[in-house]
Amino acid sequence: MVNQNLVHTLSLMMIFTSFAAVEARNLRHATIAYLCQALLICGILAAYSVQNFALIYWAATALVTKAILIPWFLWRSTEGAEQETRPIIGFGISAVLLIVGLSIMFKLTHTHASLFINVKGGMAKLLATNLAVAFTVFALGLYAILTRRDAIKTVIGLCLLENGVHLSLVSLAPTIKETALAGIATEVVVTVYLLLYIIGGIREKFQSTDTFKLSELHW
Amino acid sequence: MSREVESVIPALVTILPAAAGVLILCLGRWLGWVREALALAGALAALAFSVIVAVSAFGGETLTSFGSQIYADSLSALLVVLVSSIGLLATIYSLRYMRHQVHEGGLPHTTSEGRLTAYYGWLMLFVSTMLWACLSNNIIMLYVAVEASTIASGLLVAFYWDKRALEAGYKYLMLLTVGITFALFGCVLVYAAGAAALGGHKGLLLSELKTVAGGFPVTTVVLASAFLIVGFGTKAGIAPFHPWLPDAHAEAPTPVSALLSGVMLKVAIYALVRTVSLFFADFSPVAMFLLGLGVFTLIIGDLMALAQDDLKRMLAYSSVSQVGYVLMGFGIGTQLGIFAGLFHLVNHAIAKALLFLAAGAVIYSTGARTLSQLGGLAKKMPVTAFCFFVGAFAVSGLPPFNGFQSKLALFVAGAYANDWWAVILGIAASLVTLVVLVKAARTIFWGKLSEAASATNVREAPASVCAAMVILAALCLAIGVYPRLVYSPLKAASAVVQTTKTHNPQVLAVNIDARNGNR
Repeated sequence: MVNQNLVHTLSLMMIFTSFAAVEARNLRHATIAYLCQALLICGILAAYSVQNFALIYWAATALVTKAILIPWFLWRSTEGAEQETRPIIGFGISAVLLIVGLSIMFKLTHTHASLFINVKGGMAKLLATNLAVAFTVFALGLYAILTRRDAIKTVIGLCLLENGVHLSLVSLAPTIKETALAGIATEVVVTVYLLLYIIGGIREKFQSTDTFKLSELHW
Repeated sequence: MSREVESVIPALVTILPAAAGVLILCLGRWLGWVREALALAGALAALAFSVIVAVSAFGGETLTSFGSQIYADSLSALLVVLVSSIGLLATIYSLRYMRHQVHEGGLPHTTSEGRLTAYYGWLMLFVSTMLWACLSNNIIMLYVAVEASTIASGLLVAFYWDKRALEAGYKYLMLLTVGITFALFGCVLVYAAGAAALGGHKGLLLSELKTVAGGFPVTTVVLASAFLIVGFGTKAGIAPFHPWLPDAHAEAPTPVSALLSGVMLKVAIYALVRTVSLFFADFSPVAMFLLGLGVFTLIIGDLMALAQDDLKRMLAYSSVSQVGYVLMGFGIGTQLGIFAGLFHLVNHAIAKALLFLAAGAVIYSTGARTLSQLGGLAKKMPVTAFCFFVGAFAVSGLPPFNGFQSKLALFVAGAYANDWWAVILGIAASLVTLVVLVKAARTIFWGKLSEAASATNVREAPASVCAAMVILAALCLAIGVYPRLVYSPLKAASAVVQTTKTHNPQVLAVNIDARNGNR
C-alpha cells in the first residue's frame, strides 16, 4: 500500500520548490531549487513503487537524469553568468501574482479533480492533491517560460513543466510499463542538453542569453 | 476487418535508418564517402520495408511487432511510405548539396567532414523517429517518438550555427518541447481513462482505446482534446501555435526544410488525428473545433505568406496554410472529409518537398534567397524552373496537378457536410496561395536577369539535386492526371479513422456504469 501521507507531503513540497526555482534571480540558486524538486519526485516515484515495482527503475532513472545530469548541465551553463537577465515582471508583482494565481489554480483543480478522473476509494484524495500539484507546477513552468527573458531560466521552466506532467503520469497511471517510462525519462535530459548546447552558441554569438536579443528573425 | 500478423518487418522500418544514423555518428570520421552510402542504404532500406508493410496493410493484413506496440495498419502504412520516400529523396538531394554547404559554415568545433557526419547521422535519426511515430500503437510511446523527432532535428535546424540558425534552433526546440508536453498531459489523461475501462497495459494501445473512448467522461474528453490539439498542433504548425515554423523551415539546410515541411508536419497531424479521432464518433464538437482551427490556420498562413520576401519563409508560411486544409478535411469529420484530408496530406507532402528542393537549387546556384535579389533564372536553370512551377501550381490547386484533385475532394466533402462557410473561405484562400506562389515563381524565373542570377557561375543544379526534383514533379503530375493511382490506399487509410459509433458495446456499458456510479 502506498504511504499516502508521505506522498501527500512530498507532492505539496513540489509547489514550494517550483516557486523558488522560478523566483530565484540567481540561476544557480534556481538550479538548486530544481534539484530539490527532482529529489522530491524521485521520492514520490519510490513511494509508488510498492504498487508497481517498475517505478523503482523510473525513480533510479529520474535520480540520474533529473537530480544529477540536468542540474549538472545547468550548473555548467551558468558558469560566469549566474545572475538572471532581468525578467519582464519584477519580483514583488511576480510573487503576488503567483501566490494568488496558484492558490486559485490549486483550489479549483483540487475541488474538481473528480470531474475528469474516474477513481473511487481511499486513493481519491491523494490523487486529487497530486493532480492539483501537477497542474500548479505545470502552470508555474509555463509562467517561467512566458515571463522570463533569460534563456537558461526558460529551460528551468521547461523542466518544471515536465515535472508537473510526470507527477500526473505516476499518479494517474501507476501501473504503466517500464519502456514508456524509460522513453519519457531519457528524452527530457537529451532535450535539456541540446537546448543548453544551442544556448551556449547563442551566448557566443549574441554575447548574452537574453531572449529579447534574439531578433534576427522577424515574422 | 484486417488480420493481425506478428512480424519483424514494421520494426525494421524504423530500426534500420536508426542503426545507419548511429553508425554514422559513431564511425563517421573514418568512413569518408561510405558515410553517404550508409545514409542512402538506411533511407533505401526504410523505403523497401515500408513498401512491404504497405502491401500487407492494403491487402488486409496488419503487421505488428513487439506485442502490438508497433502496429502497421493502412493509415500507418500510408504515412511510412510517404516519410521514407521523401526521406530517400532528401538524402539523394543532400549528396551534392551538403558537400557544397558545409564549406560555408556549420556546427562548431569540427571540420567540414565532421559536419557532414553530424548531418547524415542526425538526418537518419530524424527519419527513423518520424517512422517510429507513424508506427507506434502505444499512446505514450507516440508522444516519445514525436518528441524524439524534435530532438533529432534540433541540431539540423541550428546546423549553420550563425545568429539566425541559433535563434531558429532555440525557438524550435523550446516551443515544440513545451507544446509536446501538453500532448503528454493529454495522452496521460486518455490512458488513465482507458486503463479504467480496459485494465492494465491495454489502456496504452490506440487500437484498444478506440473501442472504449466513447465511454470516457465528457470532461476528460474536453481536457484531453485541448491538450492534444495544443501539443501535437504546435508541432503540426497549426495557427496560433505556428511561430516556430517559418524560422525553422527557413534556416535549416534545404533538404531538412523539405523534410520538415513535407513530412514532419504530416507526422504531427497524424499523431493529432490518431489520438483526437478517438472521440470523433461520440463527441462531434471535437471535429467541429478542428474544422474551425483548420480554416483559421489556412487563412493566417496565406496572409503571412503574402508579406514575405525570403523565399523559404514564404514557402514555410504556405505550409502553415496547407496544414490548415488538411485539418479542415479531418474537421469535416465525414469519411469523405477524412479521405480528402489524407489526400491533401499526401499531395502537399510531395508538392511542398518539391518547392523546397527547387528553392534550395536556386540558393545553391545563386547564393541568394530573397525574391528581391532574384530574377530571370529560367534560361540558366530550366529544370529547376519547370519543377518550381509544377510545385507552385500543385500547391495552389490548379489542374492537372495533384493539389487540384485533393482540394476538389476537400470542397466536395465540405459541401456534402453543409460546411459551406469553410468551403468558401477555403476557395478564397486557395486563390491567395495561387497569387503568392505564381508571383514568386514569375519573379524568380522570368523577367530580367537579376544581379545575383547574372553571375557567370550560375547554372543548373547538379544531377542528384535535379533527379530528386524531377521525381517529385512527375509524382505531382501523375497523381493529378490519374488520381485513381492513390484512391485505394487512401480509402483504406481513411477507413481507419473512426467516424461512426462502432465501439465494443460490452466494454462501453461497463465503463458507462462505472461513470454513473461515480456521480
